[in-house]
Amino acid sequence: MTVRTPTARPRRAGWPKSRLPMYLVLIVVGLVFVGPLYWLAASALKPTVDIYRYPPIWVPFHLRWANFSDAWHAAPVGRFFVNSVLVSTVATAVELVFATLCAYAFAFLRFPAKRVLFLVLLGAMMVPGNVTLLPNYLTISDLGWVNTYQGLIVPGLGSVFGTFLLRQHMLTLPDAILDAARMDGASHLRTLVKIVLPVSRPMVVTVGIVTLVTKWNDFIWPLIVTNSNNMRTVPVGLLLLKSQEGYNNWGAILAGAVLAVVPVLVVFFFAQRHLVAGLTQGATKG
Amino acid sequence: MDTSTVVSRRSLLGGAGAAALALTTFGCSGKSDSGYGQAKGNVPDKYAKRTRVVLWSAYSGTPGTTLSALAQKFNDSQDEVYVEVQFQGTYDQASQKTAAAVQAKQIPDLVTFSEVTWHRFYLNDLLEPLDGYFTGDFAKSVYQQQLLSEGVLKGKTWWLPFARSTPLFYYNKTLFAKAGLPDRGPADWDEWYGWSKQLKGLQASGKQVKMECYQKVDGDWQFQGSVWQWGGSYSDGLTVTINKPEAVAAAEWQRKLIFDDKMAYMADSPTTDFSNQLVATMVTSTGSLSTAVAAAKKGGWEVGTAFVPAKARQVVPTGGGGLSIMRYATSKRKKAAFAFIKFLADPANAAYWCVKTGYMPAVGEAVNDPQLATLLKANPNYNVAVQQLAKVRKEDEVRLMVPNSNVMIYTGLQKIWSDNAPVQGVFDDVASQLTKATGQVKAQIEKHV
Amino acid sequence: MASLDAATARGTTKGTRGGTTVESTRSGRGRGTPARRRRRYPEYLLFLAFIAPNFLFVLVFAYWPVIYNGYLSLTDWNMLAPTKDLVGLANYRDLFTDPDFLATLRQTVVFVVGVVVGSMVLGLATALLLNQRLVGRRFVRTMAFAPHVLSGAAIGTLWLFIFDPNYGLIRPLLAPLGLTSPPWMTSSRWALPGLIIVYLWKSTGFIAIVYLAGLQNLPRDLYESAALDGAGSWRLFRKITLPLLSPVTFFLFLTTIISAFQAFDVIALMTEGGPGTSTTTLSWFIYQRAFVASDAGHAAAAAMIMFVLLVAMTALQARFLERRVHYR
Repeated sequence: MTVRTPTARPRRAGWPKSRLPMYLVLIVVGLVFVGPLYWLAASALKPTVDIYRYPPIWVPFHLRWANFSDAWHAAPVGRFFVNSVLVSTVATAVELVFATLCAYAFAFLRFPAKRVLFLVLLGAMMVPGNVTLLPNYLTISDLGWVNTYQGLIVPGLGSVFGTFLLRQHMLTLPDAILDAARMDGASHLRTLVKIVLPVSRPMVVTVGIVTLVTKWNDFIWPLIVTNSNNMRTVPVGLLLLKSQEGYNNWGAILAGAVLAVVPVLVVFFFAQRHLVAGLTQGATKG
Repeated sequence: MDTSTVVSRRSLLGGAGAAALALTTFGCSGKSDSGYGQAKGNVPDKYAKRTRVVLWSAYSGTPGTTLSALAQKFNDSQDEVYVEVQFQGTYDQASQKTAAAVQAKQIPDLVTFSEVTWHRFYLNDLLEPLDGYFTGDFAKSVYQQQLLSEGVLKGKTWWLPFARSTPLFYYNKTLFAKAGLPDRGPADWDEWYGWSKQLKGLQASGKQVKMECYQKVDGDWQFQGSVWQWGGSYSDGLTVTINKPEAVAAAEWQRKLIFDDKMAYMADSPTTDFSNQLVATMVTSTGSLSTAVAAAKKGGWEVGTAFVPAKARQVVPTGGGGLSIMRYATSKRKKAAFAFIKFLADPANAAYWCVKTGYMPAVGEAVNDPQLATLLKANPNYNVAVQQLAKVRKEDEVRLMVPNSNVMIYTGLQKIWSDNAPVQGVFDDVASQLTKATGQVKAQIEKHV
Repeated sequence: MASLDAATARGTTKGTRGGTTVESTRSGRGRGTPARRRRRYPEYLLFLAFIAPNFLFVLVFAYWPVIYNGYLSLTDWNMLAPTKDLVGLANYRDLFTDPDFLATLRQTVVFVVGVVVGSMVLGLATALLLNQRLVGRRFVRTMAFAPHVLSGAAIGTLWLFIFDPNYGLIRPLLAPLGLTSPPWMTSSRWALPGLIIVYLWKSTGFIAIVYLAGLQNLPRDLYESAALDGAGSWRLFRKITLPLLSPVTFFLFLTTIISAFQAFDVIALMTEGGPGTSTTTLSWFIYQRAFVASDAGHAAAAAMIMFVLLVAMTALQARFLERRVHYR
């Protein structure tokens, strides 16, 4: 492959070599990533016989929307949906408030052991999810919160990465803005709400969306902490759809997967810029 | 959990902030005297004033909707008890959930355990003996004798038969006809093996039709039958015997079918593959009968069933689910839970359950109920399962009693089925794991059995 | 989950850096007149009030579990019995003499190395491709990144179907080449490679995008002068692009290792550690011990081993970063 770095400028667009091979590679790469998602959507709409047919039907003409209602009947997917939306939005909102307060404190307030405290906060990132699983379950049980919204939401409220991103962003704000606020005798809370937050909006949105998507996708914790359909979330529901008396009704299972994937894809396509910014943050600046 | 840990954990929480401590104290309220609360859920307003019974179920699909229908019927048939069915996944997942619930001290009242999983709770003194709940108009004798006896230990009844099954031999009549095979089950595995040769060349969705496939997860249940048919056992009492020649020969037979004859394979879901005519025969639970019959009707072919073939012996294990009441539920809830058990054992309801699902009639009288009687007459497939009851045996003790032993056995089987691993070596490893696990619970078992 | 994992490690990288560089420029602010110093006490309190909610949850749900887990790893407890028996280091001894656990460690290494090397190479190649002025590259970039944000549970479900040797997508794709689809998830030889493929699909797009950002930040004049010297594109790539990308490479290397270590959802949906124990990685082992086998002690011990491994890797990362700061 010809390697041209960085991005070739317009005057190089007419590079003499044929670009055909590169387009072929681009198409293959595109197919690798789009293919499975297309296959998911197509299969979720096929009648049962067609799902199991060989050679396969590449473009389904007989659409069977009933796969979705099958998924719906096998498990109350609608309720799972409501739970997922509720849990991820409330948790994200609360986490954002905590993260913003904390980031502001680390960025603008004085405290003797500030650096150490910040390192303590960052250190929490090293704790793998699987280490916290059992002890957190025991804590939530002690609180009597198994199979409740509190139980689903509370253990995830601590924000480390979000706080970190927000703090880094706040440190880049020009001192002049803050000094002006202080001259006016504005309190810190007022400064935060009236001045820092508005100018940090892009970063807050980024952190919010990354958090939202992470929480929507969360699987193992909701699996462990919920027992009844009125509390389960979409990813957990997927696992339950799968265990049907030794028989895999792929139509319903894949329809369930579509329901889990579509909201995230919608958010992704609309907020791609923010997600990419959030997830690649830190890698390239430095 | 012992008190000292609670205290230390509480104080640490307290150290983390007054708020956390306050939350902890708050969280402790709402539990009963025994310290155990009831699993949370959702009760429709209509039933709000009744005694709520939480049933943790392992049934989805057709059995799931059937159980819900029965619960609904029960709830509407009286005005004191509300049964809330909460689906928890497979039997093993339901058991894991129940263990976690005991830990959280928020327990269900009634659980559908498998023939394996109830023992774990019995050994930890978490189940309620049910004998005292039977009354004049509802005697233990309504249950099929053999199935009832499997839930009895130390002279008390802990687990009542409900969704009981045995492995059944299924075959695709249409494929059999195409291959020129007779329309019946084989007398023994050797005849079956001869038949497998005749399938050669038969294609389904572009592939050679295989003779059978083995179930990846939980296949150790069907294999319990194979071991016996070959004259061996998983264990003799609590002595592990899975690495003895007979059991090894049974697995070697399957290994050879997969890797030498290429007429079998390990499958994620044998029922799915059988339903799509990829395999001509399968040995699986009677509970899959309705699914297979429905799939055959859709696909335009016919299902036949027969006794599982013999080798040295003709014998199959029982299995499936039963009902237990959790000891630490309040006595009011335990009584209410038993009322639902009684309801399920009513011949008409028991027959409805069997007709819908294909599980064996655990209540003797159910066979005489018109709906089941008609079905048994009209569809001989259902009758085979009932007749095969004469050939059943209770499973080997180690698989039943030693926690997690079923996982150890099927993990070993997976190695043989998927990896062509030498059988003796795999079973020696499994045997040493089983022996070690048995050692850890031996004292507990001896005290309780 | 994976997005969080990746995010997690990334934050650590930058934190070390941000903490040293930016902090020093700001610390001057605090030193003022005695009068201003007296005014600080309310500010200290405010600081504590602002960080308290976040710290409370971090301490209770991230740090406390580590401590408690350490205690559990010294006990024998079946999660049903009312008591936990202290057994000292027996659980650790058991693990290191258990052939299944040692196999688990080996499989974890195979999985992590497969995912890390595979996704880095493919990710860089994809980034180089997307850095060309090609029509449609924005679309491909979007689609390549999409799997990274999808739920592991859904991806596992989808790929379980794709890999199905009878009904899946791989079979008709291989058929024209005269190949039959391997049994993938029902084969102990193919299941682990299959899982690696799924993770490559999930994470390559993310790596490509980070590399792409790196590529677009490279100084162009360097290339122009090198090109004038007559260097070919492969030489340019090796002598200029790769070395200049090394910070990005290093960062991606560690984040991918850490997230691959914690891979769970897809394994839970697709293989449950099987067939046999062929896809049991450390993270599945911990879950299986705790929640399937109800063996809290060994689960906790395995979790501590995993924690120590991750801390060691992060420490290593910090060391390397320090060195890098020096020579830059």
